Amino acid sequence: MPHRVLAHTADTGIEATADTLAELVRELAGGMFALISPLDPALARSWVTVGVEADTLPDLVVDILSELLYQSEVGDLVFCDFQVEMGSNLAVIVAAGGIPVSEVDAAGPPIKAVTYHDLVVEKRDNDWYGRVYFDV
Amino acid sequence: MEFRRVDELTWEIPPQGGMRVPGRIFADETLIDLVRLERAADQVANVAHLPGIVVASFAMPDIHWGYGFPIGGVAATMVSEDGVVSPGGVGFDICCGVRLISSAFAESDFERRRDRIMGELDHRIPRGMGKGSIAPGRLLPAVLERGAAAALEAGYGWADDLGRCEESGTSTGADPAALSEHAVARGGDQLGSLGAGNHFLEVQVVDEVVDTTAAAAFGLARGMVVIMLHCGSRGLGHQTCTDQLRVMGPAMIRHGISVPDRQLACVPVSSAEGMGYLAAMAASANFAWANRHILAHEVRRSFATAFDVPETETGMHLVYDVAHNLAKIETQEVDGRPVELCVHRKGATRAFGPGHPDLPPDLAAVGQPVLIPGTMGTASWVLRGVNGNPAFASAAHGAGRVMSRKRAKRVESGRTVREHLEQGGISVRPGSVGLLSEEAPYAYKDVDRVADVCDRAGLASKVARLRPVGVVKG
Repeated sequence: MPHRVLAHTADTGIEATADTLAELVRELAGGMFALISPLDPALARSWVTVGVEADTLPDLVVDILSELLYQSEVGDLVFCDFQVEMGSNLAVIVAAGGIPVSEVDAAGPPIKAVTYHDLVVEKRDNDWYGRVYFDV
Repeated sequence: MEFRRVDELTWEIPPQGGMRVPGRIFADETLIDLVRLERAADQVANVAHLPGIVVASFAMPDIHWGYGFPIGGVAATMVSEDGVVSPGGVGFDICCGVRLISSAFAESDFERRRDRIMGELDHRIPRGMGKGSIAPGRLLPAVLERGAAAALEAGYGWADDLGRCEESGTSTGADPAALSEHAVARGGDQLGSLGAGNHFLEVQVVDEVVDTTAAAAFGLARGMVVIMLHCGSRGLGHQTCTDQLRVMGPAMIRHGISVPDRQLACVPVSSAEGMGYLAAMAASANFAWANRHILAHEVRRSFATAFDVPETETGMHLVYDVAHNLAKIETQEVDGRPVELCVHRKGATRAFGPGHPDLPPDLAAVGQPVLIPGTMGTASWVLRGVNGNPAFASAAHGAGRVMSRKRAKRVESGRTVREHLEQGGISVRPGSVGLLSEEAPYAYKDVDRVADVCDRAGLASKVARLRPVGVVKG
C-alpha cells in the first residue's frame, strides 16, 4: 500500500504497509521525502549510500530515516528513489537517489527530524506496518 | 481525557495511573474546547510521569498537540532528587526563539520605502531549503562556545544587544565537543539563516500600547515600526536532539526509568548522560542566539540601505531576544523554599517578573519582555513578566496551531493566502508561495485571546500589540 499522510496539528506523520521490511523502509523513506516534494523516481541522478544497525526495529527505521535526512541536508539533495537491502541482525543499507534542492518546487516545509512519538514498526499477519511522525 | 475546572482560567487533570503530579492547563472556555479536539491533554498527562517533576505538568494557553511534550508544555524537575532532563521537553529546534527590534521609523516612513525595504530583506535574508547563510562556517567553533558574544566579536550586531538577550546571548556550560560530526556539518552552512515552516521575519507596527511605562522601558511607542524574527538552531540543533535521543533510549533502561511515550526519554539531570545532554544543548543554544543576532545585523543593513542612512541612525535597538525551547537550571520556590530545578519549556517563554536578578538593570523595574508572535495576517503581542507567575515563570510562545498543515492547504492555495495578505496591506516575500497556506492565519488560534488569557491568568501582563505590514517567509 502506498504511504498515507497522517494529520497532526503541528507536525506530520505517515503510515505504510508493505510485503517485506525492505519494502516498508523504502515506502517510509519515499513518503518522508514526498512530504517535501513528490518527485518521479526516474529523476534521480545523484546517489548516496548509507547503512545503519540498531537494537530494535523501530530504532532501525528512525535511524535510517534520520541518516537520510542528514544526507539530504548536507548534500543539498531531495531524494526520490531508494534501493533497500536488509542485512542480518537489524541492519539496513539504503542507496538513495535524488536531485538538487535548487531544482525542486517544495510541496511542504523541510523536515527537521524523525520522532519516536507514536512510532510503530511491526509485522502484522502477512504484512509489515510502519507509522512515523516528523517534526517539521 | 477529563478536566476539572479549578478556576476561571485553570483546568486540572487529576493524577491517575503513573502521574506523579496533576496536569494544569491555562485556558478560557474557547481555548479549552480546542484542546479537547486533539491529543494535547494526553501529552500533558504523560509529562506528569517524569521522575522528579514537581507541582504540576503545565500547559500554556497556546497548547497544541506535539510529540512527547505538548507544544506549550512546562515541566520542572528537582535536580537534587534524581529529577530528570528530557530532550523531548526542549524539542528538536533547540533554543528556538523570538527577537524583537525597535526602530526610529514610523509607519509612514515604511510606506514611503515599502518596496525597497521588502526588496532588501528579500535579497539579504537566507531562508527555505538548501544552503545559504550570512556568516561563514569558520565562525562556528567560537559561536558554539560563546553564542551571540562570538558573533559580536566577529563584527555582527551592536554592543548593547547582548544586555537585551536572555542569558546575555550565551548559554553557560556549553561543550562543542559534545556535538556529533553530523551536527557540526549541518551547522556550518546555516549560521545566519531563517529556515522554513513557521519561522519568519516580520516588519510590524506598534498598533496599541496597553502599558505605557513598560513600553517605554522596552523602547516601544505607538506607531513605531519594529521587526520580529522567529528561528532557532537549524540543522545543528535538530541533529543534536536526534543524537541525544538515541543515547537516552538505552540510558533510560540503565537508570530504571520508564515513560509513556518514547519521545519523553529522560535521564537524571546529574547523570553523565544528563550532563552530556545539557552541555550539547547549551552549545546548540549558542548557535541559535548567534543565528538570530546575525540575522538582526542583516535586518539593520537592509533598513539602513533602504533609507540611505548609516545603521547608527536607524534606531534599531534590540528590545529583547527570548527562547521558547530550552531546559534550564533555575532556582525557584516550591512549597515556600528555594530549590534548584530543571525547568523545561517546550513552546513556552521564560517570563521573569520585576526584580529578578537575571534581568538587566534597565528592565528590573518592569520585568522581562515576553514575546508572543501571532500569525502573518493578524497580530503579535509584547507582554512583561510578573511576580507570582503560577507556572515557574513561564508564558505562551505564540498563537498555537489549530489546524494541521494538510487541512490548511485544502482551505486556500498559497497564492490566495498571499492575495488576501496583500489586500490587507501586508507585503509578502515568500521563499515558496505554495507553502504560505500551511502558515495561513486561519491555521492558528486567536492570538489576542491567547495574550488575554496569559494576562488574566497571571502568567504575564500585556504591554503592546503589534500589527504586521511585511512578511519574509522560508
